Amino acid sequence: MYPYRLCFCKEGALRYISHLDLQRTFGRALRRTDIPVAYSRGFNPQPRLRFALPLALGVEGKNEYLDLDLSAPLQENIIKETLNAQLPAGLRVKNVSAVESSQPSLSSLVQAALYVVDLSVCPADLSRGLNSLLQAQELFVERRGKKGTRKIDIRPFIHRLEIRKQEKGEALLMLLAAGSRGSARPQEVLALLPARGFKDKIYRADLFVFRAGELETPGGVSVERYVEVFYGKENCD
Amino acid sequence: MSGKDLDAIFEEVQKPARYLGREINVVRKDPSRVKTRLALVFPDLYEVGMSHLGLKILYGLANQREDVYAERFFAPAGDLEKLLRQRGIYLFSLETHTPLQSFNLVGFTLQYELSYTTILKMLSLGGVPLQTAQRKEEDSFVLGGGPLALNPEPLAPFFDFFVLGDGEDVLPEILNKYASWKKGAGSREAFLLDLAGIPGIYVPSFYEPLYDGEKFNGVKCLKAAAPLPVKKRVVNDLENTFYPESFIVPYMDVVHDRAILEIFRGCSQGCRFCQAGYIYRPVRERSVAKLKGQARAIIRQTGWDEISLSSLSSSDYSQIEELIAGLQQEFAGRHVRLSLPSLRADPFSLHLADKVQEKRAGGVTFAPEAGSQRLRDVINKGITEKEILAAAEQAFITGRSHIKLYFMLGLPTETEEDLWELVRLVEKISALRQLAGKRRHSLRIVVSASTFVPKPHTPFQWEPQLKMAEVKSRQQFLREQLRKIKGVQFTWPAAEMSFLEAVFSRGDRRLAAVLEKAVALGSRLEAWSDRFDFALWEEAFAGEKVDPCFYAYYKPALDDPLPWDHLSSGVANKYLQKEYEKAYRAEVTPDCRREGCQGCGLQNCPLKQVKKNVPL
Ligand code: SF4
Repeated sequence: MYPYRLCFCKEGALRYISHLDLQRTFGRALRRTDIPVAYSRGFNPQPRLRFALPLALGVEGKNEYLDLDLSAPLQENIIKETLNAQLPAGLRVKNVSAVESSQPSLSSLVQAALYVVDLSVCPADLSRGLNSLLQAQELFVERRGKKGTRKIDIRPFIHRLEIRKQEKGEALLMLLAAGSRGSARPQEVLALLPARGFKDKIYRADLFVFRAGELETPGGVSVERYVEVFYGKENCD
Repeated sequence: MSGKDLDAIFEEVQKPARYLGREINVVRKDPSRVKTRLALVFPDLYEVGMSHLGLKILYGLANQREDVYAERFFAPAGDLEKLLRQRGIYLFSLETHTPLQSFNLVGFTLQYELSYTTILKMLSLGGVPLQTAQRKEEDSFVLGGGPLALNPEPLAPFFDFFVLGDGEDVLPEILNKYASWKKGAGSREAFLLDLAGIPGIYVPSFYEPLYDGEKFNGVKCLKAAAPLPVKKRVVNDLENTFYPESFIVPYMDVVHDRAILEIFRGCSQGCRFCQAGYIYRPVRERSVAKLKGQARAIIRQTGWDEISLSSLSSSDYSQIEELIAGLQQEFAGRHVRLSLPSLRADPFSLHLADKVQEKRAGGVTFAPEAGSQRLRDVINKGITEKEILAAAEQAFITGRSHIKLYFMLGLPTETEEDLWELVRLVEKISALRQLAGKRRHSLRIVVSASTFVPKPHTPFQWEPQLKMAEVKSRQQFLREQLRKIKGVQFTWPAAEMSFLEAVFSRGDRRLAAVLEKAVALGSRLEAWSDRFDFALWEEAFAGEKVDPCFYAYYKPALDDPLPWDHLSSGVANKYLQKEYEKAYRAEVTPDCRREGCQGCGLQNCPLKQVKKNVPL
């Protein structure tokens, strides 16, 4: 088995397809190529694809990840180009790298995600709202699950909340815990803030894993540096 | 519509993937550079419409032409419909998000009666005037095709014309005529007159129905150019006719999310209740070599992992074993599954099913249709109890998890004894579960009994539907009896739905007002049982003073004029009458591909030469 890690973006109209749709789309795109994809065993063999973290419907993803197993090795840039020729506009592989087969898949490692809201104008009360959120000891939100509605405290899952300047206007950055060890959802945080009209401008900039006690992107850029250099220049197109 | 309006819609609806129109293999053209914009409309949700083969064929065929851009429309779900109304936005196409009213030709597929109100709803949401009489020179032409175009009378006032028979044969001619009419800028009527000269085109406004009191009394031709009868069109050379290879691949889960390989068209079994068996005659097959090539191309261009062999009865394809072996060889090691729907309930069919499903964990579906041999003979369902039991036995031995059995209730001449026979047949099948050893406890038998709906162009077109109260009591009877049998689950559609199907199936133009009324009262997507509202329909019939029972229950004499007599499926009326009489004598008619021509009256039938007793 030859595992590869793919970084891709999901933008434009494609932000309206669900996570399940995305899995199918990659599976079929691969099947339209001659890339030697490894398949799962069993009654209904599926291409061995493991997405790092599902993305909510309607949210763009600038740097999303998936691990793909091949049955034979293939050059990274060939994988990238062959696959891109088959992906619909809005989905694009940005980078492919071979990973050690001993490495756990990214889905088990992801600990945080950086969400960004483009603000054409920054309402004055927004920064005040941010501060009061950050000062709060606990922030309870209602979350609907299979067993009815639960109240959970999302304060421990908010790592960072700040407003930054970017090329056009300003941006609200939210670094939120993600993955199986507990998470806060961007919409939950936004609902606690005193500003409206965020909904259509939110995107997920990148995912982060813990390495040596620090959050960094799967590609190894620390969260500090990431925010400084700013994702804005790493856009898809 | 602006991109912003569109985004706002996508943000708010529950499943935006239904309306994106950005799927793989979607056809992109610059609409300003084509002469004709054709809307292909499926009057149901995306997930249903995208599973339909006819739409894909016409989409591919029309878009091959440089002067035409064909785009898709599906019925909006409730959430989108609300937004369209609130915001004053017209129903839009998937490809370019253009309002329906901007299309030159608006083509609906007519698949089931309960979609009629959705059609009217879509026209009004799309800004197209409902009645042909209200349409002005610049308005769209509305056309309809598909099986129900062979009796579209309840829809007559809303459609400029209908296409009878195989659409891929007629569409190019319509597009040519349209292009030259548009250049000449004649009247709407001039275009329709021109069309009426094309075999297979029915312009309803050129015919006037006559009534004798309540009774339908034939039609009067209003134009010399209008043929009487209008004859169905047939693709003779199925092998070389256009077939799409770059199917659009949906993002979201749709009902049939897989490649479709049409192995043959038509069916020669001659089940007397089955409209498809009569209106798609004669049987025309594609060769194994052709099908293999198509399968290879489709999988290459779509990336699907499943191919479904499509026909009215897969096991009747003359080279089915070679085809399955050939496809399996073609896709060996590539994880492409084959599926075989529409199987006969016999051991040979199960043998085929076992071949394509290496792990036999799934289920199989059989359609004995009637419980007793007598009634199966009445409907000419050529299958014996012995075969059904043998197939069930094999299914359980080979490890199937469930068997689905389709029956029809209220068939002509059905008695209580026939229902008891049905129960006994299910009991016998249930008893076979012990063959499965320890697994027997988890084996399920799903029995489904739909209600018989008499269909035009079949021998049972002269039969009334069983009265609704009686339908319900027979459903109740089956429910009680089948409940006692281990492992059996019983399902049946609402009697009211089947009743409405019967009303419109053999309906005439007087029902059009009822459709309009029902839409005004809020009827939509009624083919979905959760949205079906019979009280609304009762109100619509009462409001228009139309008695639905008249339509569902009338029993004309064999020589009475019928509302669809001016539309010909190619099968002779005399033959249908003969079949009707044989039904009452429980006399079977053999498959004409096995036993030679039965003289159904079809002209130019390539099968007429078939000798008796030639093995298939
Ligand atoms: S004409 Fe004869 S062979 Fe052809 S479909 Fe009819 S019965 Fe069969």
